[in-house]
Amino acid sequence: MPQAVVIVFKSTHDVIKAKNELAKACIAHELIPTPKEISAECGMSLRLEEPLLSKALDLFQTAGVRYRDDLL
Amino acid sequence: MIYFDHAATSFPKPKEVFEAMADYFFNIGANNGRSGYRMAIKASELVFNIRELLARLFQIKDSARIVFTKNVTESLNIAINGFLVKGDQVVTTSMEHNSVMRPLRYLEQRGQIKIFTVQANREGLVDPEAFADILKKEKIKLVVVNHASNVTGSIVPLDVIAEIAHRHGSRLLADAAQTAGAYPVDAASGDIDMLAFTGHKSLLGPQGTGGLYVREGIELLPLIRGGTGSNSEKEIQPDFLPDQFESGTLNIIGLAGLGAGVKYVLEKGVSNIRRQEMKLTEMFIKEAAKIEGVELFGPGDMDQRVSVVSFNISRCAPSTAAYLLDKHFDIACRSGLHCAPSAHSTIGTLPQGTVRFAFGCFNNAAEVEKGLTALAEISRKEYCKE
Repeated sequence: MPQAVVIVFKSTHDVIKAKNELAKACIAHELIPTPKEISAECGMSLRLEEPLLSKALDLFQTAGVRYRDDLL
Repeated sequence: MIYFDHAATSFPKPKEVFEAMADYFFNIGANNGRSGYRMAIKASELVFNIRELLARLFQIKDSARIVFTKNVTESLNIAINGFLVKGDQVVTTSMEHNSVMRPLRYLEQRGQIKIFTVQANREGLVDPEAFADILKKEKIKLVVVNHASNVTGSIVPLDVIAEIAHRHGSRLLADAAQTAGAYPVDAASGDIDMLAFTGHKSLLGPQGTGGLYVREGIELLPLIRGGTGSNSEKEIQPDFLPDQFESGTLNIIGLAGLGAGVKYVLEKGVSNIRRQEMKLTEMFIKEAAKIEGVELFGPGDMDQRVSVVSFNISRCAPSTAAYLLDKHFDIACRSGLHCAPSAHSTIGTLPQGTVRFAFGCFNNAAEVEKGLTALAEISRKEYCKE
């Protein structure tokens, strides 16, 4: 089973925007409360399978979704 | 009751507004942006979608540049207090509401800023070249204009003013209190730097909702700071939108109503709403002008105004006329200075002000006819003469 990655965003606005972009592109994802190990948080994060990460990040880049690339 | 006070607050609201508010209260209830349980996610999605609807309405590319406030006054206060610093100069017009003039005068009284005023003509219209004259001579940081006057309904051509302001290195803050939802407001092609709007007038939302669009590159300081649900490990306010300006719990139930109002406006179409409201306005102005003793204010050209009409009845104080309209004719309207003393000074109606009819998208010709009949009767009778 592929490893899961968690993407943390700047703002809730970006989490929802990211979620909508992934849904439009049919990329499986799950909204989760930001794990407690990650101190820099906006309450919600996105979890997806690692092989889908680069496609997801491309989508975020195009749509202007602000994610915390410093934590990836 | 015939309601002609839409410039203050629109009434009634579409039923979808109540339904959206009830749905939030019954089925969602949680805060946005703080937690990750499903109710909270729904709340965050709701707020996101409302921002997107507003971005569509105002042609704004990135909805994160819209911040929610409790009304247009708060939006204008954020823009004015957050943008100007000591030594700055501002140009505004003689048609502004106190929501602009009071924050500006406060900064002026404290010796922070200098204000230049473009004088409107007796119809409430401003000549864009008058802005250019000041901007050529003075270093102006911000131009603040009321898109449409809440006294005369007169419209300011935002795109022309923006072009002049930008040519001289200034920024434009537009007060869209009377236009958002009733007249096309295009932040992109209008080249607007900051756009302040309220939710409870022509956007058909409830009181307690409003917003400010801040164009990318505009650096503003927030009025208040606090919890945003983001960057919580830091005791320093986030510097990104919308969080920077949305500390504390949002009025989500109000925003749910605002979202439904904006959706209604988008579905109906601003140009259709405008056509309908201006038909009533034109009918009213044309017929009221024939009533002896009625004096009308504002532009005669319908293209240069919104559906806000000020008038007076000879020998009848505006407050008396509004009282009679309510008591004897069941017509709700506003009289007095409408929080815009300098606009009344411009059209020569200080200190008593005017009576104001403001037509909304739920008014109809039969109501306007009743309004005209009432005016004719009041101007004929001895009501006001004792």
